[in-house]
Amino acid sequence: MNCLDYRRQLLCGTGETDGMRVHRLQCAGCASEWQEQAAFEGALRAGLEVPVPAGFGERMANAQVARRRRFLAVAATALVAAGAGGYAWLARQDPLALANIDFVMKEEANSIMMGAIPHAEAQAALAATLPLDRLEGLGQVKHVRPCPFNGATAYHVVLMVPQGKVSLLVMPSTRIRGRHHAEKEGMHAEVMPAGNGSVGVIGIDAAVVDSVAGALKA
Amino acid sequence: MSFEETVRTHAADLYRYAYWLARDHAQAEDVVQEALLRGWRAFPRLRERAAAKAWLFSIVRNEYLRAAGNRAPDAETLDGLEIADERPELFGLEMRDALAALPASYAEPLALQVLGGFSCAEIADMIGATEGATMTRLTRARQALKRLVAPREHKAGRT
Repeated sequence: MNCLDYRRQLLCGTGETDGMRVHRLQCAGCASEWQEQAAFEGALRAGLEVPVPAGFGERMANAQVARRRRFLAVAATALVAAGAGGYAWLARQDPLALANIDFVMKEEANSIMMGAIPHAEAQAALAATLPLDRLEGLGQVKHVRPCPFNGATAYHVVLMVPQGKVSLLVMPSTRIRGRHHAEKEGMHAEVMPAGNGSVGVIGIDAAVVDSVAGALKA
Repeated sequence: MSFEETVRTHAADLYRYAYWLARDHAQAEDVVQEALLRGWRAFPRLRERAAAKAWLFSIVRNEYLRAAGNRAPDAETLDGLEIADERPELFGLEMRDALAALPASYAEPLALQVLGGFSCAEIADMIGATEGATMTRLTRARQALKRLVAPREHKAGRT
């Protein structure tokens, strides 16, 4: 290494390598340059170290702690809200009404394919729970057929009312209290007591379902 | 090391670096605050915690550029300082005043090197320059500073 290389590297501020050190120890001129440079670097550092506002580091660190606390508080609030919302949603989902929807989604097509039972037979089967003439007062009864449901026999009814089609599930052996609701995959169901059992009204349009259920309750 | 501890350790140097970018104390504080907010959000994804310091300096730089309208300091020449040969009032400055007279494109790598302790390769990576260009800037910045802080009589002797 020569003096030019030494001084050039010294000016980069990257520190002294072993090769540079060897040269400096043998060269009085570069040793003097090194001392001068060391003083310059000290002054440079002092110049760059502008005053920092009092407590800046602590303030910034505390801001992060506060930010994390706020984040956790917001997350906890959101979790509670989501939980409450979920609970409310689940509370609205009556299991029997949900089972009614499942029946229509999975079994209605089979029931219709199997064909309706004769009118007189339907009249006799429904008499104790929901007399057929009440249904006929609401619209046109297109189909009645007994189907296995929840371990018992229920009667699947397709009813055409002026607003559209609804399905009913007349459940002579299922007693319930009050009217309950469920919705799933775009379908709505209302279940309520009827005669010695209960009935479910299932359809795509919530307003139609509600209207038919209201008429049956009345 | 947690993010808070990392902040506590480097806040002062981040502030000083932001100051030498913005040349304004209030703006430096704003830049660091915003940078730390971004850093706080991204910290969980930082794989190498050992690289947190360089990472925070880079965020400060990006935040400053964002605030300044994405204008990186121009690789200005030091011609302005060289013609100061004809402006003797610029000589004999205190170091901080001399640094303030230095174009940002030269002061920035110096701040990264001296305050951040980064190598030429790391600085080059941060400022988007080659290592050679970065070394040149560091050398020329020191040369210019030496001339600016030289005593007036010394300067007078040279003319």
